[in-house]
Amino acid sequence: MRKLFTYIALASMMALTSCDAWLNVKPYDKMSQDELLSTESGYIKLLNGIYIELNSDMLYGAALSVEMVEIMGGAYVIGTDNSVWGNYSDLASYKYGTDYWRARLNETWNKAYSLILNCNLLLENLEKTDVAFTGDNARIIRGEALALRAMLHFDMLRLFGPVYSQNSDALAIPYYKKYSVTPNSLMTASAVAAEITRDLNEARILLANDPVRTSGTMTSAPSDGSSTFMYYRNLRLNYFAVTALLARSALYFGDMDAAYSYSTEVIQAGTDGIFPFVDKSLVIGSPDDPDRIFSSEVIFALSHSQRNKLFKGYYDPSRIPNYVFRMDNDMMSSIVFGGGASTGGHQDDYRYRVNWVATGANRYFYKYSDMVDSGNIRNTMIPMIRLGEMYLIAAESRSKDIAAGVAYVNQLRSNRGVGNLTALTRDILQYEYIRELYGEGQLFYMYKRMFTPVLFSTVASRNPAPSSAVFVLPLPSSETDN
Amino acid sequence: MRKLLFISMLVLSSLAAFAQGGQTVLSGTVIDAADGYPLIGVSVVVSGTKTGVVTDIDGKFELKAPQEKCEIVFSYVGYDDVVKLYTTKNASSFSRIVMSANAEQLADVVVTGVYERKKESFTGASATFKSDQLKAVGSSNVLQSLKTLDPSFKMMESSQFGSNPNVMPDIEIRGKTSVAGLKEEYGTDPNQPLFILDGFETTLETIMNLNMNRVASVTILKDAASTAIYGSKASNGVVVIETKAPARGRLQLSYKGDFGLSLADLTDYNLMNSREKLEFETLAGVYKDNGNDPFAQLRLDNLRNERLKEIERGVDTYWLSEPIRPGFTHKHNIYAEGGEDKIRYGIGLSVGNVGGVMKDSDRKTIEGNVDLIYRTGKFQFSNKLSINWLDVTNPTVSFAEYAHANPYYRKYNAAGGVDKYLYYPEEGVDDYPVANPLWNAHLNNWDTATGFGFTNNFIFEWFVTKDLRFRAKFGLTKQDDDEQTRLSPQHTQFDDMGETEKGLYTHTQIKELVYEGDVAVTFGKLIAKKHMLNAVGGFNFSNNHRQIYGYSATGFTDDQFDAPSFANGYPVGDSPDYNESLKRAASFYINGGYAYAERYLIDFNYRLDGASMFGTGNRFRNTWSVGTGWNVHKEPFMQDSDFFSLLKLRGSVGNPGNQNFSAYQAFSTYKFNGWMTNVFGTGVILNALGNADLAWQETTNYDLGVDMTFWGDRVNMTLDYYWKHTDPLLAVITTPGSMGVTSVAMNAGSQKTRGWEAALRVSPVYRPSEGIIWNISINATSAKSVYANIGNSFAALNESGKSSLVGTTRYYDGGSPTAIWAVRSAGIDPATGKELFIKKDGTYSFTYDVNDEVVVGDTQPKVEGLIGTSLYYKGLSVGCYLRYRYGGQVFNSSLFQKVENIGTQDVYNNQDKRALYDRWSENNRDAYFKGISLVQRTEKSSRFVMDDNSLVGESFNVGYEFPDRIARKMRIGAMNVQLTMADIFRATSVRVERGIDYPFARTVTMSLGITF
Repeated sequence: MRKLFTYIALASMMALTSCDAWLNVKPYDKMSQDELLSTESGYIKLLNGIYIELNSDMLYGAALSVEMVEIMGGAYVIGTDNSVWGNYSDLASYKYGTDYWRARLNETWNKAYSLILNCNLLLENLEKTDVAFTGDNARIIRGEALALRAMLHFDMLRLFGPVYSQNSDALAIPYYKKYSVTPNSLMTASAVAAEITRDLNEARILLANDPVRTSGTMTSAPSDGSSTFMYYRNLRLNYFAVTALLARSALYFGDMDAAYSYSTEVIQAGTDGIFPFVDKSLVIGSPDDPDRIFSSEVIFALSHSQRNKLFKGYYDPSRIPNYVFRMDNDMMSSIVFGGGASTGGHQDDYRYRVNWVATGANRYFYKYSDMVDSGNIRNTMIPMIRLGEMYLIAAESRSKDIAAGVAYVNQLRSNRGVGNLTALTRDILQYEYIRELYGEGQLFYMYKRMFTPVLFSTVASRNPAPSSAVFVLPLPSSETDN
Repeated sequence: MRKLLFISMLVLSSLAAFAQGGQTVLSGTVIDAADGYPLIGVSVVVSGTKTGVVTDIDGKFELKAPQEKCEIVFSYVGYDDVVKLYTTKNASSFSRIVMSANAEQLADVVVTGVYERKKESFTGASATFKSDQLKAVGSSNVLQSLKTLDPSFKMMESSQFGSNPNVMPDIEIRGKTSVAGLKEEYGTDPNQPLFILDGFETTLETIMNLNMNRVASVTILKDAASTAIYGSKASNGVVVIETKAPARGRLQLSYKGDFGLSLADLTDYNLMNSREKLEFETLAGVYKDNGNDPFAQLRLDNLRNERLKEIERGVDTYWLSEPIRPGFTHKHNIYAEGGEDKIRYGIGLSVGNVGGVMKDSDRKTIEGNVDLIYRTGKFQFSNKLSINWLDVTNPTVSFAEYAHANPYYRKYNAAGGVDKYLYYPEEGVDDYPVANPLWNAHLNNWDTATGFGFTNNFIFEWFVTKDLRFRAKFGLTKQDDDEQTRLSPQHTQFDDMGETEKGLYTHTQIKELVYEGDVAVTFGKLIAKKHMLNAVGGFNFSNNHRQIYGYSATGFTDDQFDAPSFANGYPVGDSPDYNESLKRAASFYINGGYAYAERYLIDFNYRLDGASMFGTGNRFRNTWSVGTGWNVHKEPFMQDSDFFSLLKLRGSVGNPGNQNFSAYQAFSTYKFNGWMTNVFGTGVILNALGNADLAWQETTNYDLGVDMTFWGDRVNMTLDYYWKHTDPLLAVITTPGSMGVTSVAMNAGSQKTRGWEAALRVSPVYRPSEGIIWNISINATSAKSVYANIGNSFAALNESGKSSLVGTTRYYDGGSPTAIWAVRSAGIDPATGKELFIKKDGTYSFTYDVNDEVVVGDTQPKVEGLIGTSLYYKGLSVGCYLRYRYGGQVFNSSLFQKVENIGTQDVYNNQDKRALYDRWSENNRDAYFKGISLVQRTEKSSRFVMDDNSLVGESFNVGYEFPDRIARKMRIGAMNVQLTMADIFRATSVRVERGIDYPFARTVTMSLGITF
């Protein structure tokens, strides 16, 4: 009898010790974190997954590139007929509180933060993993993930935060640096700015050995069929993309010196041939098939496998009688691509010649229409940050006196087929931004940063005056209720 | 029976320790009066001494008899004692001792599924019901009967699904321990008790399908002392069901049949007739053009006149009669059993069809089972195999659509056919078409499910010594279900779709494999006649693997040809479903009990549980419980009086847990971004955020109880007071979007419940020897719960509840989970017809402010229970059970949605009569409801909260057991018939539509049992 007890006791002890392993169930229909992040390729897939999700319609696949934020940036003529324009007329008059736009903003917010969560999960696991990474990959992955986290927070701050130049101490957004099941509270805009800068700086250090600095963007797959992970650097947040983001954010946060030094570093990389200005022959030499996004100048782009949707869904004149996004005719003819010396606008501008095509009485925006060479990677690119913006940042941050930056603008203009400006004013700089970054979701942030009217039209009264009602989006209700 | 035998062996074995030399040896065999088979372990004691033995495995005993005259007592649990005088000369008359079972005693054992205890020495709160008790109050299924017998066992009535035989009910024992809303999230009801069938965990559906005639007994375990042996699965209570074991003897065949008729109970519907509806529409302004366009007005006038003409022609269609039918139910069970002492066998077949009260609503079941018991020496092997098949059909048009149809439309057109639309607006008219519910019903649509599965439970027992038993169990269940639905391409749902998108076929396959193993050692010994020791220790593991496959197909062109092969393709953007969950659990448990002189009892349980659902940070959990009892009636000072045959005080405390949660909530899982790949290949992204530190939900449970039987067994009373503290709660909490997920499973706050239960049975006439008994039983239960420490965790749920038209549940500290929250209303102002609200500070206002919400009622009644009476006269029995509910409230959604809040679309549906008659107008200023308006929104206020007191005729039955002589004449062994009526009437203080998608039923069943 005693024996029996001993056996049973032994058996149950053995059972209990082996229990833990037996109880460690791995789902088959889903990937568990432990399984996924047990190899280098798991981290690479997760990182790539985050890049892919940036193409979501709620983020840079539409809302934060060509659609929502660009409407807020005054880029398009928005009609008032609801049957054609749906909810867009509300947005063009900055009615953020309608059910539709509250829901849309909520979606964008949730999506951005869900990708931030993905970054944090990746970073946290990377920190404690014992997976052996090839070469410098661990640092590259970590750097890119930090930069992604900073970039997403930065755009949420630019949307939902206060006008930084006016009120940087106002509560803005939460900054998530790690996965947590309890919510983080809102931080002031300047505190968020510090976090963004810290993350970007750390990313830049981690990416110090980024092959982009030596081998360029490498926009083709390795011929031996090996991993593409370290290729196509312009489709990743590479060293220069992070530097460019630092320039962009420093300018936004009013740190002119930093903005100047980061932007000129990237300009130097451009000059060094890593991001060369677009080849004229590709633009005006092949008028039937131009490189409309000036792909060689793009420092960081998303790769969207159906980028054509952007053109077909928003800009294609064949969409009529449905809505089509285009620039106000007067804006185009008398300011952006006209008006001569007082505006810097000229019809010879490459940006006009290749991207604006006439149908009927109007010109339509063709930046996102496919090239004939359909398999080309350029047809998938949604530019996130480009060399041209670095010239404009350098021009603006060179000195307190904006006129001092005219040389940088002229350098850019000389590569756009238009003549030199004699003097640079803030207005002309804004027009240059419109010419260079139209349809890339940056104009709203520019007006918000400079706290100037949003230029919908040549008629000043139609351009909404700067105010927090225009520039500060209400936080989603899920944020304020919980 | 086998188990009883064993216990008695344990209890009485010590008595056998003594023997004296040089005396006559009494020897013989003790046999069972019922079947002539030997009884093992019967104690044979010389009265007044400690001298005694127990019978061996063949029922034989040898007792050295004393020198002088004495009485020899044969006793055995569950059997009447046999006292035989030994005259020193009649030794030979001891060769054959016949003992007969005591039916009353049988009920006095608590079967927990892990161990058995005499009720008298058990410290837990439990209730046991035998097969005949269950059958007496109902014949549909075990759980239906259980709810009539024990008020703490509640089957929640579903206003949505009514008496749909294919919808599983929500079940609770002693109320909820988990936050509502989790069922939707997880698919499993976190408040559902644990079901144990023949010692193995099983599902609610299995119990619902189980033919009642196979059931031997059901035990409900309620408090910590009785449930803690199930550890982290036990906080919702445990229902232990034992099926009948084959009886010894020559082959015996029995047949049990149930024949039922169900009729829909539509008395709660209070719909308008055609004239009333048209008047209502007219008052509501349906026939008034808002734009004052004379042409549009002319059209509306014509429309109204046409309808009026129809009404004048006598059109007043009663749509509710269309989808319903008398539901016929029949169930048969044939069981053949027999065998001798070593081998016993039983083979059964159950066939049944439950016909619901809606057309095309059927539930067919076939179940075969084979029970085998083999016993040799100290070993026993038993195996129960059951194979089941299920075939289910559901109506494809919900009852609500008929309730919505207007009475001024005709069902059929002039040619006698069914039109697709009852009303179709002319070209260019901005109006809603009205579909004819008969159209969708007459199409070739279907909604079916079939299932096939088997369960095999094997138990090995080794009776190591008289006091020690070793048991190993292994159970395996495989269940495959297959659900298919089809909507015809002509279904109105597809009206606006292209030809290739019409029709829809869906197919879902569910495969489940469950196995469970258990090894246990049981020990029981009476030491020095006073110290009773019991102990059970064991190890248990289980594995539950479930896979769901599904897909849809679309593009059918024909109503008739419905095979999936006729589909044109898959719905655009649809992908196949695949879902898998694997849950594992492993546990070690121990139970010990000590009783001193049958008076002072103490019990303890400990269980260590590990489950795969919980994260690595919290994988294992301890459950413990302690119970004590005092059998006052056994005290020497009570011995003089035989007034009390039972007076037991007991108390227990413990912390059972709950693991009815989803399989992977503790893990973060990832998925491929299926919608896009890029030059870097594929990507993955977070799918669900896990919470590895999720703590198990745990309920600390206290119970104080008293059991009494007195006045010569005529009065039987049980009282229990309990309080439960669930801490932490586990809930899916809506989070700020910035957390990256919109909801996360978290531990948040706690819930406290206090309640009491009382059951009283009085037998004014109690002459069991003549077969005449009259019982009156009253039982009652009451409970109150409050939330604590939940803070702001449920703010999002509160907000969405406030802003939505439905939902009166709020989550605040100190609030009850069943409280109804709304703004207080002072009624309709007779002068203006506007509703006057009472603000939080008590002032009056015409403006509704959601922040003025307070508790205006509670759906939990103050007291609820059953009153019953039963009369046995010889073979005849009559029973009647009424359910009462007092002191609860209900938010009357019929008034809220079908009297007020009738919007521009709803006005085309038929409505409650009160929407016409009880509305405010200049001529009816004292009305309870606002004036008729299509645009006015009514907010949730206390005006719609009403007292919900009710009395329901839950069960009436008449039975007759044919006397032996008649049975013999008919050349059968025994025969009984019974007539049962369920839910036959319902008196209630509030008039609210019940059975929205499926009506409730009243059922009459005739049952027949024959043993050949």
